[in-house]
Amino acid sequence: MKSFRLVNPTTLDEAIDFASDRAAGSSKFLAGGQDLLTEMKEHLSGPDRVVNLKSIPGLDALDSSGGSLRIGALTTLSRIERDAAVRAHWTALAEAAHSVASPQIRTCGTIGGNLCQRPRCWYYRLEEANCLKKGGTECFSYGGLNKYNAILGGGPTYIVHPSDLAPALVALGAEIVLRSKSGERRMPLEKFYVLPADGDVTKETVLADGEIVTEIVVPKPAAGTRSTYVKFKERESYDFALSAVGASVVLEGGKVAAARLCLGAVAPVPWRVERAEKVLVGRVLDETAAREAANEALRGAEPLSQNAYKVPLTKTLVERALLALAR
Amino acid sequence: MALEPIPSAPILSTREDAQAPKKKKIKTTKVVNGVDTEVEIEVDDVPTVAWPERSKLRVLNHDIPRVDGPDKVSGAARYTHDVRLPGMVYAQILVSPLPRAKVVKLDVEAARKVKGVVHVLVIQGESTGWLGDPVAAVAAETLEAAQDGLRALAPKFEALPWSVDHETATKSGAPAVTKNGNLGKPETDGDETKARAALQASPTRVKATYQVPIQHHACLETHGVVVDYRGGTEATVYCSTQYTHGFAAEAAEVLGLPASSVTGINEHMGGGFGSKFGMDKQGQVACQIAKELKRPVHLMLGRREEFLMSGNRSGGIQTIEAGCEADGKFTGFLVQAFKHGGLGRGSLAALPYCYSAAEHYRSVQSVRMHLDANRAMRAPGSPQASFPMESIVDELAYAAGIDLVAIRKRNLPRDASWQRQLDRAAREIGWADHPHKTKPGPALGTECIGIGFGVSAWGGGGADECEVEVRIERDGSVVTACGSQDLGTGTRTYMAAITAEEFGLPVAAVAARLGNSRLGNSVASGGSVTTASLAPAVKDAAAKARVAFATHLAAVLGLPGDGFRFEPEGILHDGAKAPTAMSWKKACGTLPAEGLRANGRWVESLASRGVNCTQAARVAVDPGTGRVLVLHMVCVQEVGLPLNRLALRSQIQGGMIQALGYAISEGRVIDPVLGIQLNPNFEDYKVPHALEIPRMTAIIDDEDTRQGVIGVGEPPVIPGAGAIANAVHNACGARVRELPITPDKVLQALGKVV
Repeated sequence: MKSFRLVNPTTLDEAIDFASDRAAGSSKFLAGGQDLLTEMKEHLSGPDRVVNLKSIPGLDALDSSGGSLRIGALTTLSRIERDAAVRAHWTALAEAAHSVASPQIRTCGTIGGNLCQRPRCWYYRLEEANCLKKGGTECFSYGGLNKYNAILGGGPTYIVHPSDLAPALVALGAEIVLRSKSGERRMPLEKFYVLPADGDVTKETVLADGEIVTEIVVPKPAAGTRSTYVKFKERESYDFALSAVGASVVLEGGKVAAARLCLGAVAPVPWRVERAEKVLVGRVLDETAAREAANEALRGAEPLSQNAYKVPLTKTLVERALLALAR
Repeated sequence: MALEPIPSAPILSTREDAQAPKKKKIKTTKVVNGVDTEVEIEVDDVPTVAWPERSKLRVLNHDIPRVDGPDKVSGAARYTHDVRLPGMVYAQILVSPLPRAKVVKLDVEAARKVKGVVHVLVIQGESTGWLGDPVAAVAAETLEAAQDGLRALAPKFEALPWSVDHETATKSGAPAVTKNGNLGKPETDGDETKARAALQASPTRVKATYQVPIQHHACLETHGVVVDYRGGTEATVYCSTQYTHGFAAEAAEVLGLPASSVTGINEHMGGGFGSKFGMDKQGQVACQIAKELKRPVHLMLGRREEFLMSGNRSGGIQTIEAGCEADGKFTGFLVQAFKHGGLGRGSLAALPYCYSAAEHYRSVQSVRMHLDANRAMRAPGSPQASFPMESIVDELAYAAGIDLVAIRKRNLPRDASWQRQLDRAAREIGWADHPHKTKPGPALGTECIGIGFGVSAWGGGGADECEVEVRIERDGSVVTACGSQDLGTGTRTYMAAITAEEFGLPVAAVAARLGNSRLGNSVASGGSVTTASLAPAVKDAAAKARVAFATHLAAVLGLPGDGFRFEPEGILHDGAKAPTAMSWKKACGTLPAEGLRANGRWVESLASRGVNCTQAARVAVDPGTGRVLVLHMVCVQEVGLPLNRLALRSQIQGGMIQALGYAISEGRVIDPVLGIQLNPNFEDYKVPHALEIPRMTAIIDDEDTRQGVIGVGEPPVIPGAGAIANAVHNACGARVRELPITPDKVLQALGKVV
């Protein structure tokens, strides 16, 4: 790990000032450290200054008293998975938080860090493979060993976004709040992520240098809302998803009044499938509807040489998530 | 409680002192790099000591909690990694990031300038010949400075052509590992013409190709050493090794010291599995640096280096054609096998493994690649043979419509213990009530249940290489000592327990000392030979100590020497008119100041060899996702005389877990174009964790009544992968012929991937 200077701001403005001070060299925000430290150990990231956010009070609020759910960026995953209100009203989020890695990691890892984490593609994670994502000229997964890579939205890089919380939050209609020197901005979470073809391939989000995630806001669910997050791992104990789905439906009189579906681990961003959502609206949530939605969700999938299995796998997960919500 | 006969052998004598006894020749085990080989040796033809009948054992043949358990769970146990010495420097190694490369640049000066760096050693500055080949080492005051020093070398490599996959390595004109190319000369066995004719005449024939990946030992403690040399004539090496004495001797050579001046210490170690017999390059480098600096050197491999340069279980590809009669009897058996052992030859037990066919022919070839050489790994060559063998047995059984247990019993020797073990395993796994005995279940629903079986065999015999001392002090303390090592298998515990049994003492009353080359010599711990080599020597020493103690007490008390009994309630004498127990402490108080010492050597009659093992697995396959959930594994295994039933079951369970990883999640992944390993870490190299562990039923086959000790570590790692693969197919018809059986392969096998 490259040597760095650790700074401990006590206010958000101070943290942003530190990170915006280019003269002092490059900076990284440190939250739970579960991703950043591994990146630094592997020399994928070598900031001159690490700006510790844990020294700032008040960034870990978890509040649902106003109807909507407000989660400070520094709230740990273990707190989210255990919170009674989250479990009752935003079930997909609680399930997603619970599905992450191991209890140790969930105890340290934060929601902000989870949403901002870098890809797990093994080419990206190995320093010796100078891939496109790291500023090289080639995405090695395209012609290489791509079993874990994208089947949707890929090119020119084929990473999958590894966050579990993101697909669940997109399904729940969450918004993300960012702050920088130029002020605050708020956007639907799906707008926070950028496809490699639409922006800088070395980044996954719209987050600018010196900009920080401060809060996640999840709207109050409409009456009759049910949600779930279904994650499939190669190794149940501790693993990233091979595929996942966040699903939320509003049921009225036995029929789907509204639906939101978002796939995880199959695309470079959390992959919302609005066409599949439309298939469901106005219908009884039965096996036929679930299967049609699953087929629609995977329409347009373009598997690489070794990941075509993700298509039937993801269809199964979509069907099962929806049928679980029907019960 | 009856006392076993006290031997009349001379008291406190070593064998050398005794009168030349009659000799006889016996077959025993010799381990060379972890592979056990049968050799003939000459031993005394006088049974001097015997294990008590099983029913009379008070400590042994029971569950004995490991004596070092509390130290291990509390962190008090000191591993090599934990050693910190005054003035110690940390060394780290730079390895070749490519399978073959020219070293274009190595900025030694820049590395030397890094704050804290005290030494830079160029191991090879010209070119590298395999992925992970050590290039340079840096020693520094801190680990971080050593790592910074390695980066400051800013190495530049120029790729040379390489072969790291079967296809490339076997092409004509492939970048070659040896002067004679990559493809070894076929080793053949059997008559091909007869085998083919037998196959032709068979009513049922199947042919299939199976593939196994390179598996890593995945030791939690990486390879390494702390060399304590500060100049002068003595050195101590703290070594994570399966052969403490051998390691010390190797270190002495590099340090330029007499072997007698170097002490090897290995109190606890975090796994070896066959990969830690020698000091390896990192050990040599640590000694070279210590010799140069005259300061202690701490060199433990990093996890990536551990994956790249510390050996592996070879992979391979095997094409098998097999046939059987209508009753399941194997007729002809043809194998073409390729072994993938990197620079090494690879390892593969002879097929048809435990089974036999009327006619067989096999051709086995090594395919060399620019990767680290394979090493011994828990039952070298056997899991690689078992998985394809058990798979083809099932494929034949389904083709012929024969029950999966019946076909195995039909093709294993009628008098072999596998027959009863298969019945027991079938009962424990619930075979009688299972609906899919001759054809697999349908791939419907979310939980298809399947059952599979496998068998294995191993030697596990001992050899005359251990020297044990039992000491009794005047204050009543007792020590069993031998320089051997405890790989985590429970060696320390039975060393204490055997002596405790002998004297009617609790296990806690006996201290076991090991892991120090100043103590008596020991066998290298591989091939399951340690227990069968060491336990008899401990028993011999303890028995001699008991006779000596009885003789001493007889003189002190004026009683005949052959009437003493050492019981938990104290020391009794059968000849005394009104026997009252003398306390252990009081009896020890009568010893002279130097206490009492007895030395023991291997006694052939206290050991046995040859273990059969049978496993069954029950799995649930989800045909919608390809998930394989192993629900239950059963192992029925012979063990000879059980010393510690708890440790035996633990060994069996550990073997099953390693087999489970081999079956469903482990395997080295190399990108053949970039020439890099993509999973050199515990995130991507997936060993089973807590949630993967099934219900495990480890059964000691007590119908094996041999009164000799046998090593048991290897057999349980062998048949599990085949049993699981067969259970997956039995559940839903997904025949996966390449390990590990991951969800993508199951979905593919079910025809769900288009």
